[in-house]
Amino acid sequence: MKSLEKQKLRFIVCALIIPMVLLIGFVVVPAFDLIRMSFTNWDGFSKNFDLIGFDNYRAMFKNKDLWLSLRNNAVYFFGHLIFIPIELMFAVLLTSRLRGARFYKTMVFMPYIINGVAISYAFSYFFSPINGAFNEILTMVHLEGLIRNWLSDPKIVNIVLTFVSLWRFSGYHVILFMAALQSLPQDVQEAARVDGANAWQMFRNIQIPAIMLMVDFVLFDNIRGALQVFDIPYVMTSGGPGYASSTFTLYTIDTAFKYSNFGLAATMAVAIMTMIVVIYLIQNKIIHGLILKGGEK
Amino acid sequence: MRKRMLAMGLCAAMVMGSIAGCSSSKETGETKKEESASAGTEADKDLEGSLVFAIWDNNLMDYIDEHDMVGKFQEKYPNADIEVEKIKDDSEYWNSMKMRTSANQLPDVMFNKPFTLSRFKDYLIDLSDLEAAKNNELASGYAMDGKVLGIPMTAGYEYVYYWKDMFKEAGVEVPTTWEELETAAQTLQDHFSQKDPDFMAIALGAKDEWPDYPFMEFMPALQGGNGQNWNDMAKTDAPFAEGTDINKAYNKVNSLFSRNVFGKDPLGMGNDQVTSLFAQKKAAVIALGDWGLQNIKSGTDDISQLGTFYLPVRDKKDDPYRVIVQGDSFMGVTTHSKNPELAKAFVEWFYSEDWYPGYINYVTSASSMKNFTKEKDPILAQADDLQPDKVLVMYDGGGDQFQSIQNEIAFDYKKLGASMFTEGFDLKAQLDELNRKWAEARTKLGIK
Repeated sequence: MKSLEKQKLRFIVCALIIPMVLLIGFVVVPAFDLIRMSFTNWDGFSKNFDLIGFDNYRAMFKNKDLWLSLRNNAVYFFGHLIFIPIELMFAVLLTSRLRGARFYKTMVFMPYIINGVAISYAFSYFFSPINGAFNEILTMVHLEGLIRNWLSDPKIVNIVLTFVSLWRFSGYHVILFMAALQSLPQDVQEAARVDGANAWQMFRNIQIPAIMLMVDFVLFDNIRGALQVFDIPYVMTSGGPGYASSTFTLYTIDTAFKYSNFGLAATMAVAIMTMIVVIYLIQNKIIHGLILKGGEK
Repeated sequence: MRKRMLAMGLCAAMVMGSIAGCSSSKETGETKKEESASAGTEADKDLEGSLVFAIWDNNLMDYIDEHDMVGKFQEKYPNADIEVEKIKDDSEYWNSMKMRTSANQLPDVMFNKPFTLSRFKDYLIDLSDLEAAKNNELASGYAMDGKVLGIPMTAGYEYVYYWKDMFKEAGVEVPTTWEELETAAQTLQDHFSQKDPDFMAIALGAKDEWPDYPFMEFMPALQGGNGQNWNDMAKTDAPFAEGTDINKAYNKVNSLFSRNVFGKDPLGMGNDQVTSLFAQKKAAVIALGDWGLQNIKSGTDDISQLGTFYLPVRDKKDDPYRVIVQGDSFMGVTTHSKNPELAKAFVEWFYSEDWYPGYINYVTSASSMKNFTKEKDPILAQADDLQPDKVLVMYDGGGDQFQSIQNEIAFDYKKLGASMFTEGFDLKAQLDELNRKWAEARTKLGIK
């Protein structure tokens, strides 16, 4: 008995120590290194650097282009946020006994597994002003009047890029919701059906509260994804025209690599991390406190 | 609630880790270095070891593959091995090299552009004792503190490519002044856009931003004939003020970019797209380096009507017709090399009869070696025929001081050029703002 307990203890210690070491080595230490770097003027390749206190933080707050970039992130955030209920409905639909559900599931998930850069290139050509497929489609259905400079009009470029982002990532959210819905116990749903609950009541009062953990995760993923979006604007518009479609991450990468200011870029990375946590807390408060009253897990 | 906070903390830590991933390459870099550069002992006559040779140029990569560069080098140095590392494009190349610098993991042999030489100067060894450096026409012109840190593989010239038959049809002569260029572009646009609303008199690909470099990067130097323009700008507080070369040059560019001669959406397409449209004669003019000829040729079977001229920046026909020339692809040996002697031997071999003449004849670029001259491609030679009295301006990409200021104020001339196509762009306001930031940066950085 004693030996069994010893083995148990050994297993627990091993199972904890290995992930802890990996977490500390690859996450915690680099994170602290990042914070340390944010107080320096390191250019990314010199052997020496100076500690400059809060200069980088001050410079960051004064940088207009950076905050313009952050405003562009908001377009992705709200675009995806509005789409979450639609994704949820798709998930419910695909989980029900729908003919050809498996085919639809594959179709929905497909964009997510295609390389992001390839998707961005494909959409660059899709929205091209000359020989672009989208303009051709509009012409075919006699909607030439709607043709715009999709990738160069500062007023709509972020919406176009958000559309590409939605095309790519919505399937991922749908699959996550489906996985959560499929894990719901059938007996509760059966009981509700026997009691005469209709589809909406089932959705609102049983399915949604039961998958709240997944909804939380998707909401968090939306904030993280929206603030860190990079490949789509980088490939499709290079953040242009000017900084009209630049994003916070794109600007951070430019700061680090184009302008050799790793110290300031590290400051921006710390800011993005803080923003993710703060926005998540606010969003959580709103979703749980106001919209889903009583929907607490 | 506590669980939720814990989960959130872990998620935040994961995000933080992924952001910090790039910066933490110092720790992970060491092992890779040991793997990629196995230690080689050095002998006077028989060098051995392995080298990493990092490149970005597609044409060079194709030539290396087709002509078994490694095998040929091993005929001379049987105990040496070379790993050729191909990086997607030059922007990605610099990102990668910067990260590898901090990780002490630069390749043994790397390339530089004129504007990156000063950035990597502390990590490049002096090659002035090599025959290759002595025989190179441009290497000594780019020496820093008397040290040749890179040997240019090609001499880079910039051209304006045009379709002669289209010029003839629209009744346009090859322009020789800036005003003539603007008028010619407008005439071409007016003439061809009647038949084809998608027509571009000048193909630019401003979506990628970098294709405006013949205008935004080189024109300030061409305006005053000063290849050191960027370095001289670093010495003043208001380099963008009225009357300066850059002010004059950018006003000219803005005047051209404001005309409707770049098609219906110049910011909607990248360089690949517009080059292929030019090759299909959906555009009449495109400004590219000598390397661009290969890209144009690959998009069409008929180049009989393709011609070139140099970008006419001058105001009057009496002014000198200035043409930019720069050393391109500076091959250098890094201080991180474990086999510097072998790396130097490789550079020497690369520029020797065993390799260089074949390569330089394969590409459209001009030779930079005095001992291996090359006849210009007949299409590129047309520009010389049109301007036999051209004045060459040797371009310097900007030294330490310029780059410090540039980084401090995030001065991106290519982005500025692309912004000229946006509605409500105000060049004067932009230049005034740049002057203000420039002066502040000089004070902050203590540049005199």
